[in-house]
Amino acid sequence: MKEVELDCLGEACPIPLVKAENKLKEMEIGDVLIVQIDHSCAMKNVPEWARKEGHNVEIEEVDDGEWEVIIEKVK
Amino acid sequence: MDEPKATGIQRSSTRTKRVRKKKKNQLPFGIAVLVLAVLFGIMLGTRNQGMPIFWITGLAFGYILQRSRFCFTASMRDPFLTGSTSLTRTVLTAFAITTIGFAAIKYGAFVKGLPIPGQSYVVPISFATAAGAFMFGVGMVIAGGCASGTLMRIGEGFTMQIISLFFFIVGSLWGAHDFGWWKLNIILKGKAIFLPDIFGWIGAVVIQLLIIAMLWIAADKWENRKDQKEFT
Amino acid sequence: MDIKKNKYYKLWIKDAWPYITGAVLLSLFQIITLTTTGNPWGVSGVLANWGAWIYEAFGGSVDKWYYFASEGAQKTLESGFFNHGGSLRNLGIIVGALIATLLASGFKIKKIKSLKQIIAAVLGGLLMGYGARIGFGCNIGALFSGIASLSLSGWVYAAFLFFGAIAGSKLLVKYFM
Repeated sequence: MKEVELDCLGEACPIPLVKAENKLKEMEIGDVLIVQIDHSCAMKNVPEWARKEGHNVEIEEVDDGEWEVIIEKVK
Repeated sequence: MDEPKATGIQRSSTRTKRVRKKKKNQLPFGIAVLVLAVLFGIMLGTRNQGMPIFWITGLAFGYILQRSRFCFTASMRDPFLTGSTSLTRTVLTAFAITTIGFAAIKYGAFVKGLPIPGQSYVVPISFATAAGAFMFGVGMVIAGGCASGTLMRIGEGFTMQIISLFFFIVGSLWGAHDFGWWKLNIILKGKAIFLPDIFGWIGAVVIQLLIIAMLWIAADKWENRKDQKEFT
Repeated sequence: MDIKKNKYYKLWIKDAWPYITGAVLLSLFQIITLTTTGNPWGVSGVLANWGAWIYEAFGGSVDKWYYFASEGAQKTLESGFFNHGGSLRNLGIIVGALIATLLASGFKIKKIKSLKQIIAAVLGGLLMGYGARIGFGCNIGALFSGIASLSLSGWVYAAFLFFGAIAGSKLLVKYFM
């Protein structure tokens, strides 16, 4: 079970989401992707997309204006 | 499907060792800026009575856009880029509510024989409309934010949007400079169409709401269509 | 009492609102705007004035331009920023967003990461500015307010905005990622 960190700090919308989608495709079921973001749009649209795809998602606020979106690939 | 995440996603223990910066509490700063904003509004009112309403509605729009992560750019871009239409449908909902509200206000003025407010926003349709909208669409996606989104993101601390705003201003001035040419050669050939003039007040509202409803359904199906593709 | 754990702080100030809440409240304030100011909400028109004021500050003049020739436009230019409702509203949007972010302790300066971002901002900004002038507005004035005003122009704008967004997305993925 791999854990991959994806640094999307400072990226403009919608780059965090597109990068997360592409990264998750390369990963295996059971792997965990941690997307680091500081874009308020991304803290909504990345979890929304991941949940829609059926994965387990958690969001953690790690600092002022910084979040980690933790996605466990389920299928 | 919502599953209770009692144990949470398993993370490797090495992860939690990352040094977390101590989170500052920005609430005092927020209150300070809020107080300054109120004082500014009061000061505006003493100079020019008509100004505070603009300041207040601006603050409200900025607050609401930021809190709800509302994004017009995403509403137009995501159906193509990510297959998501949640913001598209949200924007359609806003269109529906304002259609009803605006129609009521305009009809109310019309029926009393008063000048109808906001009619300057009913503008001629010409090639300039198409070209301008297309350019704006390309620009907003590349810049990572539309007009309202750019302003909002400056408030959130994005320096990229400061550059975007500056060149938005430059582009606007350039467009204003060329506007005379566009008006003479293209816009004058166009026509402004106020839907109630064609369909009557009730007809226009009903037709517009029906179109919004159909687009809503189409957007909903589009988002779920991609899911179905996944399952087959 | 730790305010961060307070239910109402979380609900109204800290946590992100659902999109639908945004839609309803923006619509409410659009209606308030039309009622109190006589015109719907607009954002980009103001920016042309900001450009004119900056240009004039550097010695330029826009008085011979068709766009600024009307009596109303001239009066607006002469009266200046603090007498211009639209300008104050645009500034208000920036400050309102700032307040929202600070109250939720979410403010962070996001510095520019790459040359690509600069080019994207420059190009995107120019396209938006020019497009908004010839299209009679932006996503707010031409699209949101146009459609709400039962103007067919709003729908035409919407269609081409959508095509533009698709083209923009292709460019974004190809050159700016």
